[in-house]
Amino acid sequence: MTVTDTPPPPATPSTVGAPILEARGVTMRFGGLTAVKDVDMTVNEGEIVGLIGPNGAGKTTFFNCLTGLYKPTEGVVTLSGQVIPPKPRAVVVAGMARTFQNIRLFANMTALENVMVGRYCRTSSMALTSILRGPKFRREEAATRARAQELLEFVGLGDSAENLARNMPYGDQRRLEIARALATDPKLILLDEPTAGMNPQETKQASDLIFRIRDSGLAVVVIEHDMRFIFNLCDRVLCLVRGEVLVQGSPGEVQSDPRVIEAYIGGGDDDEDDDPTPSLDAGTTQEEQQ
Amino acid sequence: MSTSTPDLTHGAGHGDHDDHVTVPLLERFPGRGSAAAWPLGLVGVLLLVGGTFLSWSYTGDVLGDLSINFYPGGVQICMIVLGLVALAFLLAHRGPLSRLGDWLDSAAAVRNLGLGAVAYMAVAIGVIAYESGGLINVNPGGWVSLVGALLLAASGLMLVSRQHKDPLFAKTTSWLEICAIIVLMALVLFGAAYALGIGDGASFVLFLMFVAAAATALAKSGVFTWIGLIAQKNRPVLMLGAFAVAFLFPFTQGGSDENMSIATQVLIFAATALGLNIVVGLAGLLDLGYIAFLGAGAYVGAVLSNSAFATIGWKPPFLVVVLVGAIFSSILGLIIGSPTLRVSGDYLAIVTLAFGEIFRFTMGNLDGNNGPDLTNGPNGVPAIPDLNFFGFDFGQPHNVAGITLGRFANYYFLLLVIAAIIIFVFVRLNNSRIGRGWVAIREDEKAAEAMGVNVFGLKLFAFAGGAFLAGMAGTVKAHHDVSVTPDQYIFLESAFLLAAIVLGGMGTVAGVLVGATILKLLPEKLRFIADYRLLIFGLVLVLMMRFRPEGIIANQRRKLEFHEDDEDLAERIEEVHLEEAEAKA
Amino acid sequence: MTEFLQQIVNGLTLGSLYALIAVGYTVVYGIVQLINFAHGEVFMIGAFGALATWTVLFKGQHGLWVLPIMVLGAVIVSVLTAVVMERIAYRPLRGAPRLAPLITAIGISIFLQEAVRLFYPGAKSKLTFPEIEVVSGTALQVGGLTIQRAAVFTVGALAVSAVLLWFFVNRTRLGQGMQAVSQDPDTAQLMGINVNRIIVIAFALGAALAAVGGVAQGLLNSNIDFRMGFLAGLKAFTAAVLGGIGNIQGAIVGGLTLGIAESMATQFIPGQFGGSAWKDVWAFVLLILVLVFRPQGLLGARVVDRA
Repeated sequence: MTVTDTPPPPATPSTVGAPILEARGVTMRFGGLTAVKDVDMTVNEGEIVGLIGPNGAGKTTFFNCLTGLYKPTEGVVTLSGQVIPPKPRAVVVAGMARTFQNIRLFANMTALENVMVGRYCRTSSMALTSILRGPKFRREEAATRARAQELLEFVGLGDSAENLARNMPYGDQRRLEIARALATDPKLILLDEPTAGMNPQETKQASDLIFRIRDSGLAVVVIEHDMRFIFNLCDRVLCLVRGEVLVQGSPGEVQSDPRVIEAYIGGGDDDEDDDPTPSLDAGTTQEEQQ
Repeated sequence: MSTSTPDLTHGAGHGDHDDHVTVPLLERFPGRGSAAAWPLGLVGVLLLVGGTFLSWSYTGDVLGDLSINFYPGGVQICMIVLGLVALAFLLAHRGPLSRLGDWLDSAAAVRNLGLGAVAYMAVAIGVIAYESGGLINVNPGGWVSLVGALLLAASGLMLVSRQHKDPLFAKTTSWLEICAIIVLMALVLFGAAYALGIGDGASFVLFLMFVAAAATALAKSGVFTWIGLIAQKNRPVLMLGAFAVAFLFPFTQGGSDENMSIATQVLIFAATALGLNIVVGLAGLLDLGYIAFLGAGAYVGAVLSNSAFATIGWKPPFLVVVLVGAIFSSILGLIIGSPTLRVSGDYLAIVTLAFGEIFRFTMGNLDGNNGPDLTNGPNGVPAIPDLNFFGFDFGQPHNVAGITLGRFANYYFLLLVIAAIIIFVFVRLNNSRIGRGWVAIREDEKAAEAMGVNVFGLKLFAFAGGAFLAGMAGTVKAHHDVSVTPDQYIFLESAFLLAAIVLGGMGTVAGVLVGATILKLLPEKLRFIADYRLLIFGLVLVLMMRFRPEGIIANQRRKLEFHEDDEDLAERIEEVHLEEAEAKA
Repeated sequence: MTEFLQQIVNGLTLGSLYALIAVGYTVVYGIVQLINFAHGEVFMIGAFGALATWTVLFKGQHGLWVLPIMVLGAVIVSVLTAVVMERIAYRPLRGAPRLAPLITAIGISIFLQEAVRLFYPGAKSKLTFPEIEVVSGTALQVGGLTIQRAAVFTVGALAVSAVLLWFFVNRTRLGQGMQAVSQDPDTAQLMGINVNRIIVIAFALGAALAAVGGVAQGLLNSNIDFRMGFLAGLKAFTAAVLGGIGNIQGAIVGGLTLGIAESMATQFIPGQFGGSAWKDVWAFVLLILVLVFRPQGLLGARVVDRA
């Protein structure tokens, strides 16, 4: 992969390494309906990959296949060369974390607690340790808390640790969800519309955050509708239409591809898919969906 | 003070949503905000307390003895206490205690005390009139106190709340806090001992009314907010204090087996409900067959006991029996839980209900005719001997410091240990990685799974762990009850356990203790409603779900779950979080 | 063979009874996704309504002509109970966490049982249900099979109810409104359907059928008591799930299947675990197995996964 010709990220240029996520021939059928058809995707270490496509193109369905929420009808997903079983928890343990299109925080927990839940799969205190509270438990609990606070500071929510998730502003909730996903120590993070419903300033902050996540050594996959955001951010973009990869390449290539424009303008109204992706520009509808 | 806009009468963040409903009504009260309110209150207190020193009743056999001048009976003393508390709040409103009034909503307290006193006096006079045949038998003292109560209530309604600071932010020294906890504990002990000692139902109801009036007044004034905060800060002191009170309780009963028997039943019930609270309150799994796990423990305790009717020859020492019972119970929990925990909420409730019924039918059937002879069928296992620990016979009374402790007191202490273990497990699990996992599952199961929480494992653990604790309590129950029969473990008992949790407050220890006490104690003390007990119980469940689904003592998070759209509440709870974080730092 | 056929007959009788009650669970569930735990009590109250009608109006009469009026009385009492219950207890809880309506239902259930026990004269013990000409009395003998007269009434009542129900749901405006609400309440509301009214009707409909079931039970057993709703309700719920909750045909199929399965288990499970002592146990085992392994039921539920 070469460095793209679109404006380079502010920090270091991406150092692309070995493939980390490989999806081969992922197909998802619901009854007679094929939502995702034979999609291949490779994500390399330290890379930001964008996934675009018109409404109902199967982006979120594909995401759900990757993260084990759906069991793909056909196809294999490997992470660092290991085939991952299609179970959400196994996927997280293997090192792939995600956020949700409609924010799914634990609303009545504080920000810090939300992130601490993310540490669950990287900690091991079981019943007896928790009841007896030996030194190991205390150490682990303190480490969990410290790491959670650190992550909150990383995403810029250091001061909101004790706020209830439900009371936080919309943009903060999105960032909190990212912090919670980061807490699972992933190698790869999947962001489902991280800027939906955000104003330009918040969007800018979000892209800065994604660059910083990438710079800390993670690979990132982003679904987004905001073209400018995606083309500024990503090293590589896949355009999905009707469940199939239409174009794949550098942002410049995809941006100038007539088929992409055609797909967005001409085929934007197809909704044979049950993928609940909202319309192109209306990120705000998700607030209502919650 | 002169302000008349209701919004200003609430201090920062003191947005109890109940108040918003009552404010318009209060505003219509004539003379609201007038200068006469405060002196009126003082006169009210004077009359209320003064009246108690006069005779209330012509006959001496109603509500204890209220017929003697200058010798107040228990029912009258309650009003003296209430009057003095009201006086303190009046003086906090304006006068020497006004620094206290900076922090507390004294007007609300006076209002609630006044209204409570009116209700109390009305019922007391009603009872006197009813039992001795006519209002003519109510002596002047009663009327004086009633007038005092009415004046106090009027004063409370006329007083306008002062702008006050939120008690959450009060800085108090730790010795004061610990003293407050000790006083509180002493009050609880004294109140419980007094309540259990009350003979007749009417006096008991009056006492409850007094407690309710005082509690609401304190809650409305904000004292409880402060107590909640200091309880959180001084948790070990509180726990120790509570345990000490529970431990001292039998010594207040002077060897009365009747009261201790009730207390023991309350404790068995509370311990079981606390176990269920782990399943329902923490993990959020609705288990309607929980009584079966208690039953499983009890049956194990019975068939492994020295009873002549025990069907198994093995008679291990009791500690082994406890372990066997608990493990057997939790294995049942695993068997029923591992396939069923994948089904969603309502279905799980039904599956567990069905399991509970299967357990009961099976225990009733295994009599040798329909299956192997294990349980003696409907007759159960009778004549289970008392426990004997290293020569300490639980059946015999023992003398400690000159006070006789009977059979029930012995079991009481043992059950106290078991309850303490269950509370310990509950609290420790709640504040741990596992507890956080449970909250996450309750909040959003799918998101929890996607964040790497082992949803199935945690649910199964809660289910089997809850069963383990119930089984443990069951083995003791078998010896305490002397016999074990299938009809002790009907669905209604599971419903009662669940009700104790719902009534008291899901996911809290104190709440479940309160709920269990109310559910077991009331029917014992209120014999005259014995026949209507279940009717009222059913009604209370419905009303509770309608008006206060989070229970008497609410777990803050649960409260939010039941009131998803209450923003004020959410903000207020957040303040508590911030305050706690500050206290830790 | 006769044994087998006899058990089929018994099973169909029992199953018809279950089906009559099960429809109530299914109709309400299909529309508001609520398991109306107290539905068994509505059935019980129907039986008492019939008995009260007879005691007040026709004491001493045993002609067949009193039966329709008894059924009417039962239906009125049951429907009133169900509608009041919906209005007072369930409606305010719409949108509350699932726990709330379930606990409310337990509360209502206990309340109704106790209300009948305390306030219906003589209900503290079993009450004798009147004998009605033609539908009670000596059993019919058909080719070696014994068929209770009340059994004929029960099966017949189910058949008539099923036809009326089908007609109501598919051929009337209200029935179509019900279908619309069960598909998507929000859209239905936008289309001008009064959702609250539809929900009340669902409760009433289930109650009416349960009331008929109550009369049938009274005739079959020739006595009734205030506890009869609990077990019958639970079994009927099993039937509703077995057929696929939310699916009206499913409730009927499920009821009949459960009834036959129960009769067969009583007769044909060999050894000590057979016989009537264990029949309830087997019914509940079936309930658990269905809920765990086929929660969508035999015919498929309207709502398969409500995560």
